[in-house]
Amino acid sequence: MAEQIDEAKIIAWLDGELPPEEAKDVARAVANEPALRRLADAHEAIRARFAATFAPIAAEPVALPARSSVVSLDSARAARAARTTAPPRPLRQWAVPGALAASLIVGFLIGQIGQGSGLGDHADALTIGSPLAQELDAQLSGRAGPVHVALSFRDREGRYCRSFTAVHLAGVACRAGTSWRLRYGAPVQAQNGDYRMAGNDPVEAAAVAALIAGEPLDAAAERKAQASGWR
Amino acid sequence: MDEFESALAGLLPRLRRFAHGLARDAVDADDLTQRTAERALRARAQWQPGTSLDAWAYRIMRNLWIDTTRSRQRQDKVILAEEQGLDRGEAGDAEGRVELHFLMRALDRLPDEQREAVALVLIEGLSYAEAAEVLDVPQGTLTSRLVRGRQALVRMLGGE
Repeated sequence: MAEQIDEAKIIAWLDGELPPEEAKDVARAVANEPALRRLADAHEAIRARFAATFAPIAAEPVALPARSSVVSLDSARAARAARTTAPPRPLRQWAVPGALAASLIVGFLIGQIGQGSGLGDHADALTIGSPLAQELDAQLSGRAGPVHVALSFRDREGRYCRSFTAVHLAGVACRAGTSWRLRYGAPVQAQNGDYRMAGNDPVEAAAVAALIAGEPLDAAAERKAQASGWR
Repeated sequence: MDEFESALAGLLPRLRRFAHGLARDAVDADDLTQRTAERALRARAQWQPGTSLDAWAYRIMRNLWIDTTRSRQRQDKVILAEEQGLDRGEAGDAEGRVELHFLMRALDRLPDEQREAVALVLIEGLSYAEAAEVLDVPQGTLTSRLVRGRQALVRMLGGE
């Protein structure tokens, strides 16, 4: 119990690097010994100061370098493949067979998909449907996939929010109960020779800045939030 | 944009934050971010799917930074007088920018190997194991560099 607790151990404790039992010992020692307490406070102050100052940088948009500066045949081919394999818009083809059928399909799509069918003035208009919602549940920031998440954070009410880029829609969604609600949205424009990305949109960056409380989640906090179902 | 590009694009804001932890000012940090992105796009064939893209990209940035600081150390002998005591904060800086600039100057006074450890753990929030992997050092080495860097920062910035 009276094991030596040095500065390295206090720092490791503040960084969340100690196993639970050891962390408990350090917490107890810090609570009981004024000298250790001062040391822990000093390091925690530095930690908090750096976090608060550097966190906003990761919320600012950064564009990939222009394609022309790194042009390669492979990426040109990949871009062409991506364009030709993009899924067709579903509704245009379906909306043809008569008013009744069309309205049923529209209602179904709003309930099931939530976008791609146009927004209506109703309570669930901004609720994100599957499969996008599932991707928002599952996808970690910075990972490759059909939906790319740039950032996860908490808003001022403590709800989790995520900025994302899907195939046609990019934006920011925040947790509303067990679903995701769109707080900002913009069409994804895959222009020739240009990159599309969540962080490329200054209005989206402003939306994130207006919503965010504190700093974006780091990888560990994001995994924890995901594991607890974003509650 | 394919999967690799969109994953890299999503990483860029965090890479840029890491760059601010390494570079001596915001202009250099943005330059380092762009060069890292270009290098990563060109070297994409060297990334092995299934391994961490984050660690790979952090490593590219760190290596570019090392190259830059080494060549700069030679130049700095010439321009040191101009730099000394110089506060390069721009007029009209918001408060946050001033604080950022201040903390970057503090980091600038750490030895490189302490600075990169501090930037990865304190700023980027990597675990000790992840940071040791990026820097390709044993975890004990990472920890001791990190602790020395943090102690120096407390001495520089504490007591305010």
